Amino acid sequence: MFLSTAFRDGKQKGIQLNKPIRTFFGNHWIELAARWILGVTFVYASYNKILAPAVFAKIIYGYDLFPAVFINLMAIIVPFLELVAGLALIIGFYPRSAALIVNAMLLVFITALSINLIRGHEFDCGCFSINSSGQKTFAGPLIFRDFLIFALGLHVFFYRNSRKLCIVS
Amino acid sequence: MKTVKEISILLGASIIAALAVNYFSPAGIALVGQWDTAKGVITANEKNDIVLNDLEIDDVALAKKLHDSKKFVFVDARSRDDYDQGHIKGAVSLPVGQFDEKIEVFLEQYSPEKAIITYCSGRTCEDSHKLAQLLLEFGYTEINVFIDGFPGWEAEGHPIE
Repeated sequence: MFLSTAFRDGKQKGIQLNKPIRTFFGNHWIELAARWILGVTFVYASYNKILAPAVFAKIIYGYDLFPAVFINLMAIIVPFLELVAGLALIIGFYPRSAALIVNAMLLVFITALSINLIRGHEFDCGCFSINSSGQKTFAGPLIFRDFLIFALGLHVFFYRNSRKLCIVS
Repeated sequence: MKTVKEISILLGASIIAALAVNYFSPAGIALVGQWDTAKGVITANEKNDIVLNDLEIDDVALAKKLHDSKKFVFVDARSRDDYDQGHIKGAVSLPVGQFDEKIEVFLEQYSPEKAIITYCSGRTCEDSHKLAQLLLEFGYTEINVFIDGFPGWEAEGHPIE
């Protein structure tokens, strides 16, 4: 009895404290904005990689993290995963699962960037553009940016109200 | 369960699309690439592959011998900046990224009968192969690619400028 009262009180208190935030994050336009920004970002990121898989493969090699036998398969599949997940987010086709895939990819990117930041390995991130001039990347800002995108993914994933402009939620 | 099914559908669609596009696209690559620098220049094995293995010189000593013979023009495929910072002695700069602008002057100076050796920044760099391919298209017939490039040459203490 005591426990349940305390729990209920705590919960009520929580709701009161977070009400403006809850209203904000529960808004379907905010969800749509987060979903579209996330989707467009990933579709955009996939574009150059799909056009030049050989160059992307070389960028993956440059990370110096992945086994040689998987480099080409990653270069072939990852861009399409970005494209399909990005499109799914935009049109609202399984948005929660698409957000989960996108965030799984972001976690891999963040891990890869962090490892290279820590060990001071110079590399070309190949995040959006790919060029063969051997452009070097500062990992710190990229990791920060990826966390921001990751937050959008979390929002799309945990959003519970009805979604705007969604084919199959 | 629902999420597992949805993710499988999205993953499946991605993999099928990826493999299909890679199979039909002229820019497609092999499923496994060559990523071991001990075996030569690294490459994803693109379909219209520009790595011409039979033209490769994978031995710095041989490159030095050919350099000493004075019968070959060494052509530097790297950027002008890299060239200015140091290049194989006597090498000519022809950055592969500026090929269209620079090729006319190059053609005037070196006839297509001239024997050419291209190089760039070693085995992680394909520019010397790209340059060799472009020069072949412009009628040069005797072309070799020195795959250890400037770093390999410099490491052996051979003359640079």
